Amino acid sequence: MTQSLAPRLLGAKVKRVEDPRFLLGKARYIDDMVRPGMLHAAFLRSPIPHGNVRSVDVGPALAMERVRAALTGRDIATKVKPIVCDSTFEGFKSSNYHAIALDKVRYVGEALAIVAADTRYIAEDAIEMIEFDIDELGPVASIAAATREGAPLLHEHWGDNFFIEDLLEAGDVESAFRDAHGVFEINVSNQRHSGIPLETRGVIAEFDSDGVLTMWSATQIPHMVRTGMADCLEVPEHKIRVIAPDVGGGFGPKGHLFPEELAVCQLAIETGRPIKWIEDRREHMLSTFHAREHYHRVKVAYTEEGVVTALDATIEVDCGAYSIYPWTAAMDVEMGLVMLPGPYKIRNFRCEAQSVATNKCPFGAYRGVARTAVCFSIERIMDQVANKVGLDPVEVRRRNLIRSDEFPYMSITGMEYDSGSLIESLDKVCDEADYKAMRQFQEEARSEGRMVGIGVSVFTEQTAPPADKGLPLNFSWDAATVRMDPSGKVVVQVGTHSHGQGHETTLAQIVADELELPLADVRIAFGDTESTPNGIGTFASRSAVVAGSASYLAAVSVKENLTERAAHLLEASVEDVEVKAGRISVKGAPEQSVSIAEVARISYHHPELLDPSMEPLLEAVATYNAGPGTYANSAQIALIEVDAETGKFKILRYLVVEDCGQMINPTIVDGQVHGGIAQGLGGALFEELIYDDEGQLLTTTFLDYLMPGATDIPNIEVSHLVTPSAFVPNGIKGMGEGGAVAPGAVLACAIEDAIKPIGEVFVDRTPLTPERVVRFIEAASSGGGVE
Amino acid sequence: MSNTSEVRIQINGEVFERHVEPRKLLSDFIREDAALTGTHVGCEHGACGACTVLLDGEPVRSCLMFAAQADGMVLETVESLASTPANLHPIQEAFWEKHGLQCGFCTPGMLLTTKALLEKNPDPSEDEIRQAIAGNICRCTGYVFIVDAIKDAAARCSSEGDR
Repeated sequence: MTQSLAPRLLGAKVKRVEDPRFLLGKARYIDDMVRPGMLHAAFLRSPIPHGNVRSVDVGPALAMERVRAALTGRDIATKVKPIVCDSTFEGFKSSNYHAIALDKVRYVGEALAIVAADTRYIAEDAIEMIEFDIDELGPVASIAAATREGAPLLHEHWGDNFFIEDLLEAGDVESAFRDAHGVFEINVSNQRHSGIPLETRGVIAEFDSDGVLTMWSATQIPHMVRTGMADCLEVPEHKIRVIAPDVGGGFGPKGHLFPEELAVCQLAIETGRPIKWIEDRREHMLSTFHAREHYHRVKVAYTEEGVVTALDATIEVDCGAYSIYPWTAAMDVEMGLVMLPGPYKIRNFRCEAQSVATNKCPFGAYRGVARTAVCFSIERIMDQVANKVGLDPVEVRRRNLIRSDEFPYMSITGMEYDSGSLIESLDKVCDEADYKAMRQFQEEARSEGRMVGIGVSVFTEQTAPPADKGLPLNFSWDAATVRMDPSGKVVVQVGTHSHGQGHETTLAQIVADELELPLADVRIAFGDTESTPNGIGTFASRSAVVAGSASYLAAVSVKENLTERAAHLLEASVEDVEVKAGRISVKGAPEQSVSIAEVARISYHHPELLDPSMEPLLEAVATYNAGPGTYANSAQIALIEVDAETGKFKILRYLVVEDCGQMINPTIVDGQVHGGIAQGLGGALFEELIYDDEGQLLTTTFLDYLMPGATDIPNIEVSHLVTPSAFVPNGIKGMGEGGAVAPGAVLACAIEDAIKPIGEVFVDRTPLTPERVVRFIEAASSGGGVE
Repeated sequence: MSNTSEVRIQINGEVFERHVEPRKLLSDFIREDAALTGTHVGCEHGACGACTVLLDGEPVRSCLMFAAQADGMVLETVESLASTPANLHPIQEAFWEKHGLQCGFCTPGMLLTTKALLEKNPDPSEDEIRQAIAGNICRCTGYVFIVDAIKDAAARCSSEGDR
């Protein structure tokens, strides 16, 4: 057994190696870059939600001094194909999403023209001069408006406003309802909001005389964006290079191909000049894809013991105007369909789901796609069952959760949960919180007339998943190259992208361990399609699993090559040598050894000393495919106090147990948990993208779209369980999204609990603004009961 | 071309004299004319704090000021804290040690807000820390490790002062 003498880096709280450049203000985000001869672009965006475009005249803009170019939808109609992203499910209706609107605008903020000038100030002056004429059509600003008889149609040839209608049925729902002890129905919703990274989108495009198009973009998925660009532009994929430099937060919204990317590229192609476009915050709120707007109606059957036996559900998602690349407008409903039962052993299930097209910004990915909404629904259901059968909310969950000895577990919807610790996580979070003492504190507070509540949630986190059903691509894999140089040091090139997740540290920890090298000898490179293997990108809690494992497998392969060469040099057999702390030596005879650096040097510069069968190159590329994905799980609990007068509440404690298998770097894991919960709390408390009935977005600044600040987020207490993945190398699971999933469910449970002494009320939606909490209190006190 | 006015602003000890349009934002002046790109712009309306710089020692939102308004003034940006990883400021060391940053976009504003806080209040409580950074949005960290970092920075700065 060869054990490394050096402490393993895997699992160590290593300080991030990438931090100094950020701390020094020397990181390089898109807007920090300047290219020779670069022009600055601005977009004219439609102020009208729905209308036929009669004309867009950029002439007056082009007549201005220092304005260099402009393009309209008509100018590019024959050169840039629209973004089309269809679900493979039968009946999915296709939409043409033009880089610049052609005949029709379908949401406020859709691009009508792009202008390039010597400065951004001038470009913005120029868009003011553009004259356009749009015949307004009736706006469709909600699911109700989109589905009512005679509703205006977004895409006329569809005949209705549904991207897709789907149905999943498994088990025997009818019998389960017939035999139920009790039946009830909930009607819940989550509001439209989004990831809102602090850095907005940004693009620089440059087209050189070799016909190579280089696009720098603040994207999470450079390789997938490149494929999408090649599909739409007249430039073949091998002549497109996408570079994602430092990116100031992604969270999902930066994981799409955007029409603006195509428009900026086309303008660079046509002018021959580098073009920079930096999105402003208002544009971001209007046009970077939104998320989360779900409406669920669920009928529930349960037993006397509080065990849920069947769900009969409808999921409706307001998907905005177009199907987005690469996830389609079916993503949220399809994920919602299969994830609704969550961590619970529900064996009879029926769910109808509909993606509805409206005159709103298209709808895309945000940390915990669909799972925030389904967690909210299923946890609201558990709380209702607890009330109805008179159980504690923790106990009712215990009775319904999948037990650890039941993994691997195939859910009723066909999801393969590989492993988990659901009940143990729930128990541990209760222990950490001292749940009994918390209840006692609540009793005492209530006796003083204070409104104190406790909320709890437990959930599975699907990580590194394959294609969700119906998506046009399968993303279950990623790739890494491990290249050792002649000095024995290593660069690892990965297809994923790090924009805060700390991959420059965590992936290096994995590779340094395997190659028995110090961390400083391993550098991680990513974000450039020219210098990384073709990969997929960073989203869906996948990078640690797929990039981590691909890096690991490539390192294993390089280590094999090193060992083979060293054995040849040491005149020993491969089985008789071992790699330890930077050296390869003959087992039991450590004086017969050679350093990794010496082997590398000989390999590249004196290959004649090797066996002729050995190639000089010490480099390996590997892919890792996570198949059905691996499941992490988590439990969260909160103690809150509500101010009955104002409806404002304070989170007194917020505790989390996270089980993501073997952790690579626990500090980074904790940071991800904190950040996810803060985003989840933002959505639970106040973040909302509000459209009026006319299709105008009312929340276009941070003064009306509230972002959680340091005084809104409590201290978050995190502890861990470690249930290794059943199949991923090193037992790693993903975890980036988990924190964001449950806060809405936790707080809804806590508010109901706080109000309980006044009366029963059903908290049916987020955000839980003070105004809404006051209404819940009023409903409870007027004996309104469950809504 | 529109009229310009001459401004003279001292940034991190260096004087920048430029002719700028009256409408040019201070944040753009810092990033474009002084080529100091550590100052980031997150919202352009003074709500996120990413563009925070110290103007005559006080934290201000550089996206809410015109360059012309800073004429004759002394400015510090994140680049004033340290020039290499080897000589980080104690506040930067603390943020590194406590994992007080993820994507790094809000970090320069956080660091300068912290500097201004600790100069006024060398030993802030957690509440005081949270109040002080309430105008600096961080979308990544949930603030937990930023608060830890600022506590650690306070300890580092005061022990440095003791020396």
